[in-house]
Amino acid sequence: MAESLEKLHNRILSDAKLKAAGVVEQAEDKSKQVLDEAQSQARRDANDILAKASLEAESIRRSILSSRIRGNRLRILDEKNKIVQSVLKSVEQGLSDIVDSDQFESTLKRFVAEAVEAVGTDNAVVRIGFRNADKKSLQSLGQSLPKGTKLLVDETAIDDLGGVVASDPEGKMIFNNSFRARLERLDNQLLTTISSTIFGE
Amino acid sequence: MSGIEAVRKIVETEAQAKRIVEEAESRAQEILASASEEARKIRQASTAEAEQRRVEMLRETREKAEADARSSDVETDSLLESYKKLFENRKDAAAKKAVELILGN
Repeated sequence: MAESLEKLHNRILSDAKLKAAGVVEQAEDKSKQVLDEAQSQARRDANDILAKASLEAESIRRSILSSRIRGNRLRILDEKNKIVQSVLKSVEQGLSDIVDSDQFESTLKRFVAEAVEAVGTDNAVVRIGFRNADKKSLQSLGQSLPKGTKLLVDETAIDDLGGVVASDPEGKMIFNNSFRARLERLDNQLLTTISSTIFGE
Repeated sequence: MSGIEAVRKIVETEAQAKRIVEEAESRAQEILASASEEARKIRQASTAEAEQRRVEMLRETREKAEADARSSDVETDSLLESYKKLFENRKDAAAKKAVELILGN
């Protein structure tokens, strides 16, 4: 009986040790699994952070560059605009001063002829007005006008810069051939001419 | 050995066996807790390293972009300077052509 009791004693302890070893082994397996998963997750987390950082970096780069490049483009456009406006001032001055030049009379006749033709009536009313123009010389233009055309000479420059305005007697059909009106009509060509001359574009 | 003594011996053995299993379970808990803590540290270290690389990446990007932007500023300054010279040299010619255009010559 002592012998079988000893066997039972050993068996109980042996089973307990086996179970204990199993519990620890299971824990070690689980532990390894936890660490493997942690490393995988850590790699994924790091990759996520770096992928987001890459997008963030691109966004920062674009933000810095685009705002500065936009600012510089505006500076260039502003400078070009100032230059063109400055030339336009000179052009306006040049047109105002045309009265004192040799080509004034021929230009005036041409402007009047264009305006009368545009109105297309035999008894057009032509109004002319230039700064510092000799009124008598302007009135002498009347002799070269088609018969029936009425000439009016303004004391002041038409539209500030001077020019010619023709209309029918009722004032329903008007053709403005002042320098200002021509500047507006030829606006695109004017800007192209100035830009290409100054900037070679 | 009497019957009572045999029973006492078995009870003691069972108690000893129970202790062995409980110790193993306790050890298993420690192993898991330790693994959990180590896993936390692995992730924390990896995240910290990635964050550091992120900060470095953003700093380098910002510096490079600022350098490129400064380069754009210099190019623009140079272009504006050349515009001023072109204007001085060509403004009279441009005005003359424009006046001729308006006069219809």
